[in-house]
Amino acid sequence: MNKAAPGFSDEQLAKARAGDAAALESLIRAHQSSVYSLALRMLGTPELAEDLTQDVFMQLNGNLRTMGSNTHLMFWLRKVTTHRAIDQLRRRSRFEMTSLDEMPLVSIADGGDPLLQRHLQQLLLELSPPARAVLLLRYQEDLDPAEIARTLEMPINTVKSHLKRGLEILRQRISHPESRRCEDKST
Amino acid sequence: MRNYSLGIFLALMAPTLAWAAPSPRLALPDFTALAQQATESVTITLDAALLAMAGRFLNGDDPQDAATKDILKGLQGIYVRSYTFDKDSAYQQSDIDAVRNQLSAPGWNRLVQTRSRKSQANVDIYIMVANNQAIGLALIASEPRQFTIVNIVGAIDLDKLHKLEGQFGVPKLDVDVAKVPTPSIKK
Amino acid sequence: MSEDLESRLHAALTPVAPRPEFTQNLIARVNADKRTEANTRGHRRSPKATAWWLIAGMAASLLTAVGMQHHLQSRRQTESGLEARRQVIEALHITSEKLNLAYEVIKSQSSSPADDRSGV
Repeated sequence: MNKAAPGFSDEQLAKARAGDAAALESLIRAHQSSVYSLALRMLGTPELAEDLTQDVFMQLNGNLRTMGSNTHLMFWLRKVTTHRAIDQLRRRSRFEMTSLDEMPLVSIADGGDPLLQRHLQQLLLELSPPARAVLLLRYQEDLDPAEIARTLEMPINTVKSHLKRGLEILRQRISHPESRRCEDKST
Repeated sequence: MRNYSLGIFLALMAPTLAWAAPSPRLALPDFTALAQQATESVTITLDAALLAMAGRFLNGDDPQDAATKDILKGLQGIYVRSYTFDKDSAYQQSDIDAVRNQLSAPGWNRLVQTRSRKSQANVDIYIMVANNQAIGLALIASEPRQFTIVNIVGAIDLDKLHKLEGQFGVPKLDVDVAKVPTPSIKK
Repeated sequence: MSEDLESRLHAALTPVAPRPEFTQNLIARVNADKRTEANTRGHRRSPKATAWWLIAGMAASLLTAVGMQHHLQSRRQTESGLEARRQVIEALHITSEKLNLAYEVIKSQSSSPADDRSGV
């Protein structure tokens, strides 16, 4: 089950393709969180994330006729969002670190530690863009390595290396924090 | 008349002289039959032209791409054969021996040989040196369910390969290329 | 520990909704864009104008065909280049993995020399 787009069906997609404004609005509401979150966690600031999200949906608007199914639509959204984010990050002269204060706190329904969650999001920003994209597609979008490879147009072995190496780095940095801003409550 | 005779003599000797010079390019066997049994197989054959093409698509602003581009300078070829199986001993050592035998030819120097009884992983690393510079690298890694052969041809900068650490997780090998004996060419 | 980190990552990376104002603006923009597109498509033409458009269309098609061929060739070259780049990166990944494997065995020698033997 896709946690990113609950309650949006292929029938509604067909209506949106046919020009039904209400269906188009439902499409945006159903998928915007996934796109926005990918953009936010790739680029680091809400402003850049909003710009990218808008660009993606405007581009989708021009390509809606080619979307045969909800599955195809989600694949397209993830692919375009991550590719555009990676391109944007490559154009920057260096990776800009984001202040912890700029990252919105997510209220965790299961009672998880919000500061640790924010710390993890911050640590993700320290990974290279391709590695970051791989981890986001894995742990935010629940894609398996083969799906990630198709989305990012990356060899599957490279995806697996990024996953392995990315988790190692996160584990190391949680165990040995360097920043005084991060209250590390990991075990 | 003497010059004419000398010319014929040199023309006849040229193939012999060429054969005597060690080549860092390995003759890799056809592993098609093994590939069919493997659950995953990687076959990469990149000659100088393809490496040059790849270099044009590496972005100098991205640290990983920039490090990769740097390594590619001076390389004439990268050849990889890697096969993963779903059970132990699906391949024979004799499958790899055709490659290993080439590494006992003059010119190749074994840099590292590791044998692990615990993980049953064996890794042999060889380099070919000329004029105090590594001009070829060969790596054979065999594990119970996987074997990998890597052959890199060209001016390999082991320092740069080491500096990929963090990008690809390459460890420092602590090798002084100047101390590796230069091969003598047999006449 | 590995599962703990992975489950924490899942929890930390629950999708976040953008601001409600952003969503409203986005929907309005997309709808406006859709209306503009529909107006352009729905515009009627007179027969004379239709003939003119037909000729212009044929000329444009010819130019497009030439342009398309060039574009396809360029695209094929780009695809080949990108594929070569992917293979280079994968080859270096595999090389580094195996170098790391050798390194790990050498490193473990110092802790348990009885299990491993390595030579440099």
